[in-house]
Amino acid sequence: MPPGGFSRTRNVDYDDDDAYDDEDDYSEEGEGGDGMTEHDKEQMRVGTTRVRQGLGELSEFTSDAQIQEALWHYYYDVDKSVVYLKNKLGTTEPKQEAPKKEKATSRFDQAASVADQKAPTTTGKQTHPQSSWLEESAYRVAYLSPPPISMPTNEAIGDFFWDVPWGNVPLHRLGVITLDTPRYRGGLLGGSSKLAALAAKRRKDREEAEAAATKANSEANAAVAMLDKLTVKSKEPTSNLRGGDTERPSRARYPGRRRSRSRSPPPEAIDEAILKPAVQQPAIVCELPAQRAKASMFASTLCGGSSTAARRPFPTLEVFPAPYTIYKEYDSAKAFASPSPDDIKKRVQGEKLAQSVEKLAVADEPKVKSKNLNVVQEFEKSGLKRMANFVVVGHVDHGKSTLMGRLLYDLKVIDQRSIDKLRKEAENIGKSSFALAWVMDETSEERSRGVTVDIATNYFETDKTRFTILDAPGHKDFIPNMISGASQADFPVLVIDASTNSFESGLKGQTKEHILIARSMGMQHIIVAVNKMDTVSWSKARFDDITKRMTAFLTEASFLEKRITFIPLAGLTGENVVKKIESSAAHWYTGETLLEALERVELPKRNLQKALRLSVADVFRGDMRSPLSISGRIDSGTVQVGDTILALPANETATIKAIEVQDAPVDWAVAGQIPTLHLTDIDPIHLRQGDMVCAPNAPVKLVKAFTSKLLAFEHVLPMPVEVFRSTLNSPGGIRTLSARLNKFTGEIVKKKPRIVKPGEVARVVVQLERELPIEEGMRVVLRERGRTVGAGLMENVA
Amino acid sequence: MARRTFPRRNNAPSGGTCAPVFARTIKEPGYLQTLRPSRSRGSNELRKIFLQTSIIPSASGSAYLEIPSSSPASKSTLIPPTSSLKITASVQGPKPLPRSVPFSPSLLLTTTVKFAPFATRHRRGYIRDSIERDLGVHLETALRGVIIGERWPKSGVEVVITILEGDEDGWWGDSGNDGSVNRGGWGLLNVLAGCITVASAAITDAGIDCVDVVCGGVAALTRDPAARDKKELVRILDPCPAEHKEIVAACAVGYLASRDEITEIWMKGDVGADPNALVEGATHAAVGSLAVVKEVLLEALQAKFQGPMEGNESGLKRKAQDVEMTG
Ligand SMILES: Nc1nc2c(ncn2[C@@H]2O[C@H](COP(=O)(O)OP(=O)(O)OP(=O)(O)O)[C@@H](O)[C@H]2O)c(=O)[nH]1
Ligand SMILES: [Mg+2]
Repeated sequence: MPPGGFSRTRNVDYDDDDAYDDEDDYSEEGEGGDGMTEHDKEQMRVGTTRVRQGLGELSEFTSDAQIQEALWHYYYDVDKSVVYLKNKLGTTEPKQEAPKKEKATSRFDQAASVADQKAPTTTGKQTHPQSSWLEESAYRVAYLSPPPISMPTNEAIGDFFWDVPWGNVPLHRLGVITLDTPRYRGGLLGGSSKLAALAAKRRKDREEAEAAATKANSEANAAVAMLDKLTVKSKEPTSNLRGGDTERPSRARYPGRRRSRSRSPPPEAIDEAILKPAVQQPAIVCELPAQRAKASMFASTLCGGSSTAARRPFPTLEVFPAPYTIYKEYDSAKAFASPSPDDIKKRVQGEKLAQSVEKLAVADEPKVKSKNLNVVQEFEKSGLKRMANFVVVGHVDHGKSTLMGRLLYDLKVIDQRSIDKLRKEAENIGKSSFALAWVMDETSEERSRGVTVDIATNYFETDKTRFTILDAPGHKDFIPNMISGASQADFPVLVIDASTNSFESGLKGQTKEHILIARSMGMQHIIVAVNKMDTVSWSKARFDDITKRMTAFLTEASFLEKRITFIPLAGLTGENVVKKIESSAAHWYTGETLLEALERVELPKRNLQKALRLSVADVFRGDMRSPLSISGRIDSGTVQVGDTILALPANETATIKAIEVQDAPVDWAVAGQIPTLHLTDIDPIHLRQGDMVCAPNAPVKLVKAFTSKLLAFEHVLPMPVEVFRSTLNSPGGIRTLSARLNKFTGEIVKKKPRIVKPGEVARVVVQLERELPIEEGMRVVLRERGRTVGAGLMENVA
Repeated sequence: MARRTFPRRNNAPSGGTCAPVFARTIKEPGYLQTLRPSRSRGSNELRKIFLQTSIIPSASGSAYLEIPSSSPASKSTLIPPTSSLKITASVQGPKPLPRSVPFSPSLLLTTTVKFAPFATRHRRGYIRDSIERDLGVHLETALRGVIIGERWPKSGVEVVITILEGDEDGWWGDSGNDGSVNRGGWGLLNVLAGCITVASAAITDAGIDCVDVVCGGVAALTRDPAARDKKELVRILDPCPAEHKEIVAACAVGYLASRDEITEIWMKGDVGADPNALVEGATHAAVGSLAVVKEVLLEALQAKFQGPMEGNESGLKRKAQDVEMTG
């Protein structure tokens, strides 16, 4: 089936790759297309005048077009263009020969062109070898083929092949190559029209240059010599590979071919040449060519039939009759009229079998027993400390991880020995200043790059409160991870680098975006840690400046001023983190330390009585005992061991086998905590980061469109956006802008606005491509091409 | 060769794939030597080659190559004197690349070489080992330059070679008790040459445009057992390692006869002062096997168009020939 192979594969394999369109990639190329930008035109104009100056008197003999072309090729290099044009005009050759870039011709081509020159050429303009080679579209095999058979549709493939023999495929089964003009025309694939034009131009130039073959330089000679060395023996002209009608540069070193072509007179004679390829001496003549062996037993079994010559024509089967159908009894038997022996037997045993199968039921593995606690009461009884989760946010390298490392170190959560070890390791790779950050950054990639990539979780405890730290990455590439961390937190700690320029660059970058995301998650308190105060020698002026500007920004993002706390500190040295600063330079600050501020923050109310809502921040496979575990913050409600939960959007239930909070096993967990739940009775494929876990009796609905109150961070129009609910996200779009609202009262200011400006609040309808579990009161973040455009509060299903 | 086992297979017993060694060979010291095969053909004479294309209907091109054992089978033992090389090749494609693969302006060639588990006297694993991957790379270099890849942008072609029986590295009698011969891997050169030839036939069968039909050939330098001083080296074409007690050097090439170009070369052993002679020998061997390849491809083509073309047989025959020759 030789040539048919390709077309058949294409027909067969397309079902999963339906919209394969190779057309449009190539349709553009080759057409010049005036794709010049304004900038280019301007450069061209200036360049032309300057070249004219450079040319002096020769300028009169040169047309604008020539100059521009030269400029184009030299990328507006005036000097080179002038030199080129002078050379050209000097030779007074009327024919246009555009500049040739040295790089464009490979050594091989040079060698070939030198060889061309040696050969007695009489041909006129020679088309470019590559393109002529390709333009010859027809496989000559196509003439020989019988009329094409229609290809079966995909479903029928199996049927199509059912009686195809093993080898010796009958002719009518063979694929047929039809004459397609090849799509590849030697241009730059998929290139812009300008590039294509450039390439086409270069190609033309090279052809002309080759035809002229004036550049026989020593290098090319060397290349030829090298080629000669490569051949094993003689360089006698070899057989004419595609029947003498095509030429490639690499074969130009066989003069015989060329001669045969140039001699061949018009049409009929060419046909002759095709039919009778000049018999040429191969380079190596083998005295004793190998003999053909007869097919061995194995071979004849494999290939069917001993020799190809003696093949019998394959009978084509229209239908394949079963051998017994020829008997008369077959017609009269009605074999399937009465119940089969199996049926009879089953009917007799039927009842008994069903019973015994019921008895067979495999004893279920001991179900996880629920203690049926009243978790809310338990919680109140336990007198647990306040629980607070905070996320550390801020621009990249502003010192978030270092600050947290310092906090843990000063609170003796991390002992001196581990710190010393980290110090030594950090020094070894020349990043000693990152030693504290390594407390949080644990993966080798994070450590070697000095950048946090994923959320790191750590715990510490004070007399009053148990804290969970979520150290977020500051780099803009890892915003999704930051969102996942922020969705688990009660309030953010914003870290700002006080040193010159850093603060400013952060304000344009992720300082701003993180604040907006944190706010859009509904967080109301914020602690602003003005870090690296040591680098500005605890300048009060700098601190005040930052405070002023941040306050302005934060209030605009609708944080209340009284809920913002500013603390000047230095994470690296530890001043004002746990211990108060002693340095005299900072006598002006008498406020609280970071730790004090953390303890003072008011926490949002926990909705213990509501139905369970937990967003999955992490899914991991553990050991044999707990094959699948999830972790995430409980937004509302409670869980206890033995509870059944529902995972959305997969809509699968699971049973909780065990619960861990802060790495210690517990019987229950309540809203506000970030427990790890070990699950059974669920396939891991149903759980993914960002999923929603809820109580099966009060599930969250999957919605496809909803109205939302939107706080815009950028200009918002009806446009495609990416909708994030925690980390669960779906492409979607803002369908309509229903109304612009008053920021504080929520009253409608304007109906159907055309655009929502940054900072404004509007009611919009959001359409999702995939259903997401979202219910009233949940927060969503809308992002577009890596930027956060707004934050929404889900109001109702649209 | 650490063999990994598949947990879900009934794995064959490890060890040899051949008949066991019989007691007589151990009891009678001279007897074993009488079984030793020796080269009966001339030094420039190649073994016979069996080649057949289009053996796998579902592949776009396929071929089977066999080099039957040249020594006559012995009457007194079950163990065949020499192995006979058996290789199948199938070509899948050209077909469009999956979307995940980055854009490629020309045909992406992948070659996979696998020994069947029973292909050698020592049982092979099911997972490709380093030798097989190495052969795959060699084969790829041999084929890459031959295929005119620019005609299939954004597509890939897969050449899958299965070695049903490989050439051994030496005579079984020279080995230890386990039947495996581990003497420098001379057989691999024959296997590579076979792979090149059969892959080339399969590619032609698939109708993929090539600049020429590439063919594999092997030549070797052996110690002449007849010459007493043991210094004399003879160059032979297409060595059958089992027939020679000592091979000094060998070389396999992939060779384009009509362009006089070598696409792949693999040399082994102590080549001595003149490696070119060995390479040249290998190219001769390649040209020798090309004769068979050409003949077979021609026949296959004629057989294919026999039916409808009977009317104007002669003219078309020439055309067909033309097509095939240009490969
Ligand atoms: N001088 C001085 N340098 C500090 C201070 N805090 C952090 N740094 C330095 O700032 C650099 C970045 O610290 P990291 O803690 O990795 O920054 P990060 O914010 O966690 O960075 P990402 O997690 O990648 O966003 C390190 O070289 C620290 O040594 C400080 O208080 N004073
Ligand atoms: Mg960090």
